[in-house]
Amino acid sequence: MNPVKKHPVHQFARLRPSFGKLLSSRVLLFSLVGIMAIGGTSCSSQKRLAKRHAKEARLAQIEQAKADLHEIINDDGSLSFEVKERKFLDIKDMNLDDKEVKKLLPRAEEKLAKDRVVYLRQKEEELKRKEEELRERERLEKEQRMTYNLIQDALYAVATAPDLRSANTRISEALSIFASPDVPVLILISRDGAIKDYDRPTTIRKYLEMLKDQKKYNNDIENVLFDAAGKITELELKKRF
Amino acid sequence: MIRIILIVLFLTICSVPARAQSFGEYLGDESVLYAQTKQVNQFFRRFNGEESVSGIRYYERDSLYRNPNFRHRYLNVLFDLENHSVGEKMRKDFVEQVTKRNRPNFLNFHAPGWFAEVSTKFIHHGSEVKVILFLKLEQENLGYKWVITDVFYKPFNDLLASEDDGNMLFLHPMSHELDFMNLIKVFQDKDKIAKYASKGFKPNYLTLLLYEIKRGNMKFQTVENVKFHFFQVPGWYFELSDLRRTGYNAGWLITGLIPISETEKELLLKYIYHD
Amino acid sequence: MKATILITLCFLAAAPVVLHAQNDLSPARKQAIDSLALEKVRDLSKYISIVGSKNTPWAEANRVIERTLELFSEGSQMGVSSLARPQIAYYSIRQYMERLMALNYDKVKIDWYDIHYISDLERQPDGRYVGVITIYQRFEGSVGDKMVYRDTTRKDITVYVERKQTQIGGRLIDFWDVLLGDIRVTETRL
Repeated sequence: MNPVKKHPVHQFARLRPSFGKLLSSRVLLFSLVGIMAIGGTSCSSQKRLAKRHAKEARLAQIEQAKADLHEIINDDGSLSFEVKERKFLDIKDMNLDDKEVKKLLPRAEEKLAKDRVVYLRQKEEELKRKEEELRERERLEKEQRMTYNLIQDALYAVATAPDLRSANTRISEALSIFASPDVPVLILISRDGAIKDYDRPTTIRKYLEMLKDQKKYNNDIENVLFDAAGKITELELKKRF
Repeated sequence: MIRIILIVLFLTICSVPARAQSFGEYLGDESVLYAQTKQVNQFFRRFNGEESVSGIRYYERDSLYRNPNFRHRYLNVLFDLENHSVGEKMRKDFVEQVTKRNRPNFLNFHAPGWFAEVSTKFIHHGSEVKVILFLKLEQENLGYKWVITDVFYKPFNDLLASEDDGNMLFLHPMSHELDFMNLIKVFQDKDKIAKYASKGFKPNYLTLLLYEIKRGNMKFQTVENVKFHFFQVPGWYFELSDLRRTGYNAGWLITGLIPISETEKELLLKYIYHD
Repeated sequence: MKATILITLCFLAAAPVVLHAQNDLSPARKQAIDSLALEKVRDLSKYISIVGSKNTPWAEANRVIERTLELFSEGSQMGVSSLARPQIAYYSIRQYMERLMALNYDKVKIDWYDIHYISDLERQPDGRYVGVITIYQRFEGSVGDKMVYRDTTRKDITVYVERKQTQIGGRLIDFWDVLLGDIRVTETRL
């Protein structure tokens, strides 16, 4: 039995103590070659795969474009004009080489043209409405200011009446803009954040008499409540100390 | 602007009270009113350094609140400067103590150690008489009230004062065996009956006053005068009176000041209460 | 009419609410209460000059007296002393006003000195707060063009402050009920 013949590797092993290392590098080398060979094969299949993917993606794009174009053509107003227009331009930019898409594009464009007219009209109407709202708000504010001034003037007139008789007349006049002589009058004396401090609530008649007696009015109108007939049902004043 | 002038003026009169009076004619009467300590409340605030010269309240967040230098200047105008019984040295010692930086003294409205002496007039059995009422602040619920603690009315004192005439009068210790029949002797001499009361007996003049009023023998007329006694500053007693006079040194001012020990305090209290 | 009754009822239902530690109030809120109290004092002064003036018709003066009484807590008194009579003479507010009406000056002029002093608000055992406002005034009563009486007085005016709540228009309103109390009137020389 020749162990050397039988096991030639062992011979080498004896001659070169680093055989194990060599062996392992060889294994590595073969593997590398093998991998390269396999790699070569997989590279080409990857290209195929990519091609297939690209084709699939294009098909998907086409499908999506078709769906979108149909959506634009059939839309009854549930999509906003801006969204539809963006979708249409995106599809157009894609330059998709598809018969059906090419057929759908002019139809969609035609529909968009119609929609644009509606859209612009709506936009104009919206703008008009907003302007009207603003005008109405300004009108109301002006009206409120005028009403406040009216109340303020009525109160001031009582306080500055030259004599008793005119003071009484002015009290009657002032009372005519209130729902009743018992309408509550609140006088805010201080506000600290959400905390509001008031003086003892009074009635409009008593308040007007007080103005007549004290001959001074040093409050501002804070808030006024009206009834359906436009008469004041509550007056809130703010003290100017 | 006027307010600023007044503040400057007031600080000036704090240091030179006599000379500053001549400024009055330039500012009219108002400067005098600013200077005067108008309420006892203002005396407390000024003493503690809790309000500005023009009377604006200081709060803890204000830099001058209880400021020792500010108080030092202020305190001097809280004395009756026409009263020479309070010497300058004594006044200075007092002010130094209460404004001491590490341990200042403040007055506390709600704390004990001060009370009021109110001179009043009553009608007693048809004639007008003078009665002194002593009142102190007492807490009830979350609030406070003034309550009457004692009364001085001379006829009550004269009637009940125990006179030590050297005579030993008593009920002998075996009286009980005779069913206290010797009590008849006790009540024979009405001037001496108090001698038969126990050692700790002290007549309660407030009870007497209430009794007389309830019997309809006495009727309140009016208040004549009010002053306060303060024992809140350790080692000192002072009296606070309202000096209604013209000039800057007027209003509620310290009209008496004495350095005092604990035993002296007891004696002084007896004196104030006419015990 | 219904609304009137409702409003009146709401006013009657005004109930005191617990005022948490008055010391917790911000200086601004305290100042507003002080100013409100001082304004009531000024209102009183104006009422006094209306009632004191002979030009005021009798019915009008009586109305003003009623309004004056509304400024005060019940049972309030004036304690008056003069330089000649240092003892305090007591009058109810109504007596004081009616006496003033009877004096029949053609004109009553009340001048205020700028100075006033407002004490701290102290809590009473019943939960209400009390303070004192000190003011100085010059009173002049004239008959025709001739001034017939003049004095300068110091007035120490008791002010009661209570936090209350009432319902108006369906919402709760917190308010300060500021009422005047006893007034000590001292004639002074400035």
